[in-house]
Amino acid sequence: MKRWMENPLLRYQLFGFTVNRWKRQPLLYGVIAGGVGLTYLLVYQLVAFNQIPFAAALNLCLLVMCLVAPLMAYNLFSLEYEKQTWESLALTRLTAREILWGKLGAALARVGILTLLALPILLTTVELDIYIFDSRSGRIPTVLESTTNLYVLTAGMSLLFSWGALIVALGMWLSFYLKRTLSTASTLYAGQVFALALMPMLYLTFSTGETGNEFIGAITSYWEGFVWWIASLFTARVILYLNPFWAANELNAVLPSSYTWRDGGGSYTYSEGLIYLNWGFSQSITYLALALLFAGLTHRGLKHAWRK
Amino acid sequence: MLDVKGLRKEYGELVAVRDLYFQLHPGDVFGFIGPNGAGKTTTIKMLATLLEPTAGTATLNGIDIVRQPEEVRPLLGYMPDFFGLYEGITVTEYLEFFAAAYRIPRAQRAAIIENVLELTDLTVKKDAYVETLSRGMQQRLCLAKSLVHDPILLLLDEPASGLDPRARIEIKELIRELGAMGKIVLVSSHILPELADFCNKIGIIEKGELLVWGVVDEIVQQMQANRILEIKPLGEPEPLIKRLEREAHVHGVETRNGSLYVHFAGGLEEQADLLASLIHDGYRIAAFREESLDLEDVFMQITKGEVS
Repeated sequence: MKRWMENPLLRYQLFGFTVNRWKRQPLLYGVIAGGVGLTYLLVYQLVAFNQIPFAAALNLCLLVMCLVAPLMAYNLFSLEYEKQTWESLALTRLTAREILWGKLGAALARVGILTLLALPILLTTVELDIYIFDSRSGRIPTVLESTTNLYVLTAGMSLLFSWGALIVALGMWLSFYLKRTLSTASTLYAGQVFALALMPMLYLTFSTGETGNEFIGAITSYWEGFVWWIASLFTARVILYLNPFWAANELNAVLPSSYTWRDGGGSYTYSEGLIYLNWGFSQSITYLALALLFAGLTHRGLKHAWRK
Repeated sequence: MLDVKGLRKEYGELVAVRDLYFQLHPGDVFGFIGPNGAGKTTTIKMLATLLEPTAGTATLNGIDIVRQPEEVRPLLGYMPDFFGLYEGITVTEYLEFFAAAYRIPRAQRAAIIENVLELTDLTVKKDAYVETLSRGMQQRLCLAKSLVHDPILLLLDEPASGLDPRARIEIKELIRELGAMGKIVLVSSHILPELADFCNKIGIIEKGELLVWGVVDEIVQQMQANRILEIKPLGEPEPLIKRLEREAHVHGVETRNGSLYVHFAGGLEEQADLLASLIHDGYRIAAFREESLDLEDVFMQITKGEVS
């Protein structure tokens, strides 16, 4: 860990030029930071006072992640090529893994910070100690409600982080292979529009609105949920299920406000099916696996192209 | 010692570098001369382990650049013809970055950076931001970066290109000093007078083929089989021209600006005899000197101006 933290590339990407920018133009960057801070507080206030639903708040955070994450990765390697610094870096004793970690680690740290900034906003939409009353079974135990809310909150946070991680890993890979900053940025943004908006619209048009949700309510165990999730990855439904905005909307169904409590061996519900599917976490794991794949491809490319 | 053994690079049908052989020893400053497109940069990139040769190899102190690129990289410093620098950091931070990337222990870094700054005459600029440096200073910083890990081989590709006369002189002084420090310096250029000043060995490459290589003076002597003698007579030159044309070793006489340029095939003995006989015969000679070849003459005699 110490050796990783001493990675000069990681330090440069994380602090080096950022710290100096602040030192050189404190007023400019102070104004920018102030503006961003005020906007953040305004959004927080809007969410808190207008009792925005959890899914809407998460969608807002996801939208910000979709817009900001590409900025953290679109030039990781392409700028090295464009500014002709790459050869000097390639000749140092840094290994391919260290170069990769230096660049990806810094981008992931920024994604992590962005995710943490979303936490207060999401927390206002998910109360962790509320009591919910149900007409049939009376008061639902606090512990259960807190657990359910905690599940939704952590699933939402992991969705946010892992989507950001996927975008930066994909951005890094594209930046390595395309070698052009502009091409990488435009591919990342256009790719997101295609995958998150156009593809779901096409799917819903051609599947006449069939989403597979009716099967989710029939899932009765985590094992069934796992099998069903894996099977879904090989169907067209994956277009919806891997869409973070779709996943965020469905997480709302898990919240106590829409929770139908199962009494005495009655029917399983859609929300329970989602929990058995580890909804939110399953998507996150898939995103992280894809991020790992892109990181691996970049590592392989580095080793092969530069004999590192 | 750098031992280049049959280095060859092909791009499809095009042979960019054709079976190069040469050896350099510590302290050698090797001028790699050739027209644009002759294969200089390709050769340097192969030696820098940035390009894999199609055939042949080179060893640096017995380490193979093709089979052991990771082992040889810490032993070489490379300054590309077009290079960039990491921006937003100071000169010292830039050198610290590379010192860390070359795994120089933290405790030794400050002293090494100080030495390198002194050597490259950048001490006064140690706190300046990299992007604020002039082109000449950036060139020196790039060289300083190539020196932090104390390499034994320096590969400098057109180090003086784009520099003003003062910066050129400073770079020349620096290269001469590096040679005196016992480093092997390979410096490419197509500006010959600047190489003549500080190289003890040269290699002339054209169309990817190393036409000649060796000690500068020896090559010049080889090329000087036909000497040119400049004779400045007092009075009318015509009788002297007729007299010279009768000499066995004289192949021709040209007149320019009141001087006679005599193409002379003899050695130093015959040259001395000629002068003595002219004076003995009563010709009044104001100046008599051998016109020596410079690198430009050698280059023009050897090359045909073709690219690979």
